[in-house]
Amino acid sequence: MAEEVLQDVFLKIWDKVESYDPAKGKLFTWMLNLTRNQAIDKTRSKEISKSRKTDDLDNLVNQIDNAEHAELFVDSIGLKEVLDRLPESQRFVVEFLYLKGYSQSELAKEFDIPLGTVKTRLRLGMIELRSILNTP
Amino acid sequence: MNIQEYISSGILEAYALGDVTPAERADVEQVLLQYPEVKQEFDKVEKTMETLVRKSAIAAPVWVKEKIMAKVSLSQPEANIVPIRKLYTPVWRYATAASIAIALLTSYLAYDYRSRWIEKEIAFNELNAKNQKIAEDYNVVNEKLDKIQGDLSIMESTAFRKIVLKGTANDLTALASVYWNESTREVYISVQNLKRISRENQFQLWAIVDGKPVDAGVFDGGFAGLLKMKNISGAAAFAVTVEPRGGKESPTLSTMQVIGALPREKS
Repeated sequence: MAEEVLQDVFLKIWDKVESYDPAKGKLFTWMLNLTRNQAIDKTRSKEISKSRKTDDLDNLVNQIDNAEHAELFVDSIGLKEVLDRLPESQRFVVEFLYLKGYSQSELAKEFDIPLGTVKTRLRLGMIELRSILNTP
Repeated sequence: MNIQEYISSGILEAYALGDVTPAERADVEQVLLQYPEVKQEFDKVEKTMETLVRKSAIAAPVWVKEKIMAKVSLSQPEANIVPIRKLYTPVWRYATAASIAIALLTSYLAYDYRSRWIEKEIAFNELNAKNQKIAEDYNVVNEKLDKIQGDLSIMESTAFRKIVLKGTANDLTALASVYWNESTREVYISVQNLKRISRENQFQLWAIVDGKPVDAGVFDGGFAGLLKMKNISGAAAFAVTVEPRGGKESPTLSTMQVIGALPREKS
């Protein structure tokens, strides 16, 4: 399924690249969001839900996780090391938002955390990552 | 608006993830345009996000690329390529880059050629000077050769008679020769050994004609080969004296250096 999404994403980038506006952010960010949305759309789509036999988004996200998670972490051990250096509360938010495709409101709702807290933790986690990853 | 508060609210991170409502999105985009500080911070957020996400990247199977390329080339006729070019690299940017590159290259070449030209000009002038010197030397040598050939033809000629003038009591080692053509009356002298004399004086050649000395011209020492003197006819002997520069009408016998008589002709 991941390959399908990848294909769709590339074609979408190809078709939609005219709508990219450099003033609104880097090309990478634009492509990342496009990819992320495409992946979430795919997991929500009917053909998937038929095969998964559920419409529950959270479960779908977890299934993506189960399917891809092992591969993900085998391929990038560096990532796990990086995340382990974050405080647990921040690591949790970063992992769910960046790697598991949760939205902030979904995360807040499912784990019963105030939305403002989710935002702040993400903010703190990203500042922490800035120094861990040594990006300026 | 409190910029620090805005930044620390985490809205930028949410926006970077595309995790905002359309209203929030419009708001963030407005703020980004308006506040450079926020834009700066957002650049950092993007950078961190990119680095993190790249770390989680998985290499896709090779065949995926082939499939995608196949689809892309199928849909290519419909694809509008021009706007894409405009978006990333407008044609004028290429043109500007190209013209700047050409200008730089041209300036460099101009400089390079100029310094080479100066170098060559100097070398050329040097060569020219050398060439002139060689030509001059050649002329000198050629003149010398002409003279030697001329002298040689006189010495070898049977029309000239050679009279050896030998040293007198003044200088026994002195020696000179006279070549005389009786029919053309030409006279040449060659010096083998005469003493040095001061600049106020000159050597004077005399011919003894009918028992009386006849002036045959003056000369300085230190020449090579033959020196043409005055024409003489009917000489019985030749002699060289030292006289004041320019010569005298009658010889100063006490300064006679060399003398030689013609061999008596067989009759």
